[in-house]
Amino acid sequence: MPVSDIFRPLVVLALAALAAMLVSVSVGSADLGVADTLSVLVGGGSELHRTLILDLRLPRTLSAFATGGLLALAGALMQVLLRNPLADPYVLGLSGGAAVGALLAMLAGAAGFLISGSAFAGAMLATLLVFGLAHGSGSWTPSRLLLTGVVVAAGWGAMITLILAMSPASRLPGMLYWLMGDLSHAGQPWPGLAVLVLVCLLVFPLGRSLNVLARGSLQAAALGVSVRSLEWLIYLVASLLTATAVTMAGAVGFVGLVVPHMLRLALGNDQRMILPACALAGGTLLVLADTLARVVIAPEQLPVGVITALIGVPTFLYLLYRSR
Amino acid sequence: MITVVAVLGLALTASVSAAELCATDALDRDVCLPEPARRVVSLSPGATELLFSAGAGDSVVAVSAWSDYPPQAAELPQVGDSNRLDLEAIVSLKPDLVVAWTDGNSRAQLDRLAKLGVPVFWLAPREFEDIALAVETLGRLTGHTPVAERTAAEFRDGISTLQATYRDSAPVWVFYQVWDQPLMTINGDELISKAIALCGGINVFAGLPRLVPRISVETVLAADPEVIVTAGRGDSDRDWLASWQSYPSVTAVARDNLFLVSPSLLQRPTFRMLEGARELCGILEQARARL
Repeated sequence: MPVSDIFRPLVVLALAALAAMLVSVSVGSADLGVADTLSVLVGGGSELHRTLILDLRLPRTLSAFATGGLLALAGALMQVLLRNPLADPYVLGLSGGAAVGALLAMLAGAAGFLISGSAFAGAMLATLLVFGLAHGSGSWTPSRLLLTGVVVAAGWGAMITLILAMSPASRLPGMLYWLMGDLSHAGQPWPGLAVLVLVCLLVFPLGRSLNVLARGSLQAAALGVSVRSLEWLIYLVASLLTATAVTMAGAVGFVGLVVPHMLRLALGNDQRMILPACALAGGTLLVLADTLARVVIAPEQLPVGVITALIGVPTFLYLLYRSR
Repeated sequence: MITVVAVLGLALTASVSAAELCATDALDRDVCLPEPARRVVSLSPGATELLFSAGAGDSVVAVSAWSDYPPQAAELPQVGDSNRLDLEAIVSLKPDLVVAWTDGNSRAQLDRLAKLGVPVFWLAPREFEDIALAVETLGRLTGHTPVAERTAAEFRDGISTLQATYRDSAPVWVFYQVWDQPLMTINGDELISKAIALCGGINVFAGLPRLVPRISVETVLAADPEVIVTAGRGDSDRDWLASWQSYPSVTAVARDNLFLVSPSLLQRPTFRMLEGARELCGILEQARARL
C-alpha cells in the first residue's frame, strides 16, 4: 500500500478528532455560545468563561481523547497478539487489577492521586502476574496467555465483588462510577497524551512485522520475524497503554474492543494504518461520548462508560451487517 | 433493675389505656401489637436513634451495622448491614417489633420476616414533623408515651424557634456538597435542604429531579452559590472545601464562605438534626455578614 493511501484516512480522522474536541469544549451545562468559546480559545473572554473552558472542559476533553486513543490502540495490539477477535485491553485482567487497587484505596478513604497511583500499581501487578504465570514451565503460546489472563481476570472480578459487598454505602457511588469509567476527575491529560504519542511512534516502524504476525506465528517466523520478542513487546506496550488509560478514567468499556474492529471493517487490515487510526478514532469516540455524558441529563452527569456502549453497539452492528 | 421495673410500669400504663396498640407506618400498613414491644430490633442507624429518643433504648435488643449513636447503641449486638440483613439472627432474637427504614432496607427481605409473624414497622421521615411523629409512634408502640411526647415537643419547639428567628433573614444561595468523587448534592426534598430553608437559605440545586443528584464542577460555577457547605469525609476534613479555592469567580470562594458542618448532626433524620440545623443557621448568619 503506498504511503499516501495510509495518510489520507489518517488526515480525515485527525480532522474529525479536532472537530469533536471543538464541540466538546463548546457545550456543557453552563450555557456558552460558540462565539464565547472561540474568544476564550484565542485568549479573550470573561474570567468565568476562561475557568469553565480552560480549567474544566479542555483538560477533560484532552483526557477523554487520550483515554480513548490509549484503549483503542491497546485493543488493536491485543487482537494482533492473541489472534482473537474478542480480545480487548481488559481481557487479560489488567482492568481488574487496577480496579482492585483503586477500590481498596477508596475503601481506605484515600482520594485523588492515591487512588490513581493505587490503580496503576494494581494494573502493573496484574500484568506481571499474568506474565509470570503464562510463562510457567512449558512453552509460551498466545492461547496459554489468553487462558491465564482470563482466569486471573475472573479472580480479580471476585475480589471486586467482595470489596463492593464489604464497603459502607457512602463509598459505593464513587466505586461504581470508577468501575463504569468516569472522566470527571481525570486530572492532567499530559501523561496520557505523551504515552499515546510515544507508543504510536514506537509501533509505526513495527507495522510490517505486525502485519505478518497477525497471520500466524509460524508464517511470521518463516518470514524472519523474531516472534517471541515481538510478542512480549506487544504485551508490555499494550499493558502500559491500558494501565495509563484506567489510571486516568477507570474501566471505560467497549472502546478497546470495538474501535479496532470498526476501522478494520472500514479501512482493511494494514497495521501501519490501523494502529494510528485507532489512536485517533478511539480518542474521537470517547470525546463525543463524554460530551454526551455531560449534557444528556444536564446538569446531572452520567458515567462515560454507559455512553460508549450506547453509541458503539449499534454502530458496530451496522458495520458488521453491511460487511460481506 | 430499676430501669426494668420502670419500663414494665410504663408498659402496664400504656396497655391499660389501649387494649391493642395499633399504628400506621410509612408504607400505609397497620401494625398492631397485643402489648407494648419489649424486644425491638432496629434495622437502620436512624431508627436506632429514634428508638432511643422515644425512651425505648432499654427495649432495643439488636441493631444494624453503623448504629453508633447514642453510644450505648454501639454496644448492642448487630444483625448485619442495613441492606444485607441476617434474617436468621433477627428471627432467633424473637423480637416483638422490628423497625425498618424505607431508604436502606429491602422490602422483599423484610416481607419474609412479616410472613413469619414478626411485626415490621417502616419509617420514612421526609419532614421535620415526620421525625417528631415517628418518635411519638415508636414511644406508643414500646410503652414510653410520656418520654416520647416530651422529647418530640422539645424538638418541635426547637424547630419552630429557628423558623421564627430566620423567617425574615436575607436569603443566601447555598450549595451543599454531599460527596466529591462523584460530585453529589441534594435537591429540595432532602431534609438537609429543608434545614437550609429553615435558616433562610436557598439550596441552588433544590429544583433538580433526583434526591441526590450527581453534578459537575461546571454546574456549580454556573450556579454561583454564595455559600458552600459540606460535611466532608468526616473528622474535620477540609480537603473538599480547599479544592474550591481554585475557582475564585464563585461568590462563596471570593467571600470565604466555605464551611464545614458536623457530619453526624445533619445526615440522619433524627432529633440531632435540630442541633445540626442550629449549627447550619449560625453558619449562614456568618455568611450573610460577609456578603
